[in-house]
Amino acid sequence: MSVTDQRAPGVRISDLSVVYRTQAGELPAVRGVDLELMPGTITGVVGESGSGKSTLALSMLNAVQPPGRISSGSVEIDGLGDVVALRGDDLRKTRGRHVGYVFQAAQNSLNPLKTIGKQLLDLGRSHDVDDLPGLVKEARSLLDRMGLDGARVLDSYQHELSGGMRQRVGIMLALVLNAHVVVLDEPTTALDMITQATILRIIREVHEERGLTTLVITHDLGVVAEIADRLAVMYGGRLVEQGPTREVLGAPRHPYTRGLLQAIPRLVGDIDEARALPGRPPTLSTVPPDGCVFRERCAVRMDVCETGEPPVLTIGPRVVACHAAGDGESQKETVTTGPTRGEEQA
Amino acid sequence: MTLIGVPGRSGGIAVVRRLAGHLARGLVMILVVTTISFLIIRNIPGDPMAAKYEKLVEQGMSPEAAQQAVNVLYGFMPTGSMWQQYLDYMKGLAHFDLGQSLTVPGTGVGTVLMSAAKWTLIPVLAGTLLSFLVGIILGVYAAIKRQGKLGDLLAISGSLLHGVPQYVLALLLGAIFTTLIPILPAGGTADIMFEPGLNAGYIGSLIQHATLPVVTYALASYGGWILAMKSSVVTVLGDDFILAAELRGMKRSIIFRYIARNAILPLFTILALSLGMLFGGAIFIERIFNYPGLGLMLIDSITGRDYALMGGAFLLITVAIIIANIAADLLYTVIDPRVRSGGEAA
Repeated sequence: MSVTDQRAPGVRISDLSVVYRTQAGELPAVRGVDLELMPGTITGVVGESGSGKSTLALSMLNAVQPPGRISSGSVEIDGLGDVVALRGDDLRKTRGRHVGYVFQAAQNSLNPLKTIGKQLLDLGRSHDVDDLPGLVKEARSLLDRMGLDGARVLDSYQHELSGGMRQRVGIMLALVLNAHVVVLDEPTTALDMITQATILRIIREVHEERGLTTLVITHDLGVVAEIADRLAVMYGGRLVEQGPTREVLGAPRHPYTRGLLQAIPRLVGDIDEARALPGRPPTLSTVPPDGCVFRERCAVRMDVCETGEPPVLTIGPRVVACHAAGDGESQKETVTTGPTRGEEQA
Repeated sequence: MTLIGVPGRSGGIAVVRRLAGHLARGLVMILVVTTISFLIIRNIPGDPMAAKYEKLVEQGMSPEAAQQAVNVLYGFMPTGSMWQQYLDYMKGLAHFDLGQSLTVPGTGVGTVLMSAAKWTLIPVLAGTLLSFLVGIILGVYAAIKRQGKLGDLLAISGSLLHGVPQYVLALLLGAIFTTLIPILPAGGTADIMFEPGLNAGYIGSLIQHATLPVVTYALASYGGWILAMKSSVVTVLGDDFILAAELRGMKRSIIFRYIARNAILPLFTILALSLGMLFGGAIFIERIFNYPGLGLMLIDSITGRDYALMGGAFLLITVAIIIANIAADLLYTVIDPRVRSGGEAA
């Protein structure tokens, strides 16, 4: 197993906006997102379909696909600088080598006509790896580490592998060039429960062993609760709440987070206790340009929500963007240092 | 956590078994097609002697002389009941005896087919391969540049040429290059002033005469290739593994190869089939350029009610298509690993 030879880098996403060009003009998919990934932590981003979370994930590699484009903001990665400013070969070499990306398991992220091993060699050649046998060895040990027969998997085609196996191959390909920032987009969607649990355990373990800074995109609060140190909730292209996972899930401050939690059916108690959030999430074209994006479905809606941008309140280690969250015990203060990864183990 | 069975790795035996199955099915198909075409051919109104008689009289021969000339054919006419004729025919086929031609009396059908085949195979094969190569290369380009003007132009050229009937194209090219700008011969295979053989004059003349048929055929089929390749590439471009390769920082050249190899796969079936179809000749083109290929021969055999020659021509087309299909299938086991392992792909 490779030794963590460098400190996990921190990532600062500042004021990031992504727009998609449509017939109705450029519509925002991600608006003014500020998110800091502390070195060595796992950050989970949750949201419904269309909330902009996958677009956010692609922005981490400056890979928003046309007709979308990053219209403003920056993604600063320690040791790399602003990824949004990278172009051409510099950008290509950053992808894979410094920032690993793991696709949704159900998606076929592998070339069906080539063995995994051959694709690994293509990856090595793309990044000018001189020691290709060493790369293969590293890949095999990563796969072995994840409970697969590495030699055999490298000799297999995609269609000879199960969903869970493919997902581990995807994780291997994201890590084999020793990337220390890893983005996982819906890593366990479409996997069965057992495989899902296995993949989550592997992500957690590999994350700690290799000293990674990890971003997990999911619509599943259970996944986040399982592995994330910090949690960010997205709605309508905005980050509405973020903070340490336990605090956010234990005492949600944004009405949307509360709604999400209430919608989860419990194993014990009355099934009717689970209440679906009324209404539906906004699409690109129905996101209101002014005021709070969530107000249409909000239980604590106020007049000010129609017109005023919700203030971004920093309450201890947490950030909430809501007009209604500012009352009570909270004080508006700016926190400069976020929680560290030790916090969750406490 | 072990590999699910990796099937079909012992390729040799599987391929042999596959081939044996194909051959058996092919034989059955040949039997069925031969029977059906035998029945159809023998039930066409008219008979070879009447056809020949009419033709001779039309050519200005006196009825008596024509009758005498036709009587020569009598010895070649099939005798006995239809059932008996069928049995005789099949018995002959089993010994690779296709029978005697009636339009070219005294000549075996095999010989007639052979002499016509060489005038079809070379031009049509050249035309098919030429249009395939140009079509797929421009098809890739049209797909990648599909949002630009040039991509549009290529696609339109494809639709246009695909839509124009072969004979219109042939007449148009013929009119331009033999009448308006008379630089190419109007018909035939070679100038009679040259001694057939391996001399520069004859070969030059051959090439000159073949140019118009080859170019017409190539232009007529180019449209199909460019459109098929374009849509295939567009499909592959939308596949997840292409985006995945990009996000892993793969070199453009490698990604291009991934796209090309995956996109060209479905086109091999069409290519194999059109190579089989080539034994049907290019009837319009051969007719217009008076090129004595299989298509022209087929027409002559039908108007002359030459039972044996018609049967032989149909059999040749059938066998060629069956063989082309088998070849395509075997080719797939080489180029597509999903086929190789018996098709239990996910």
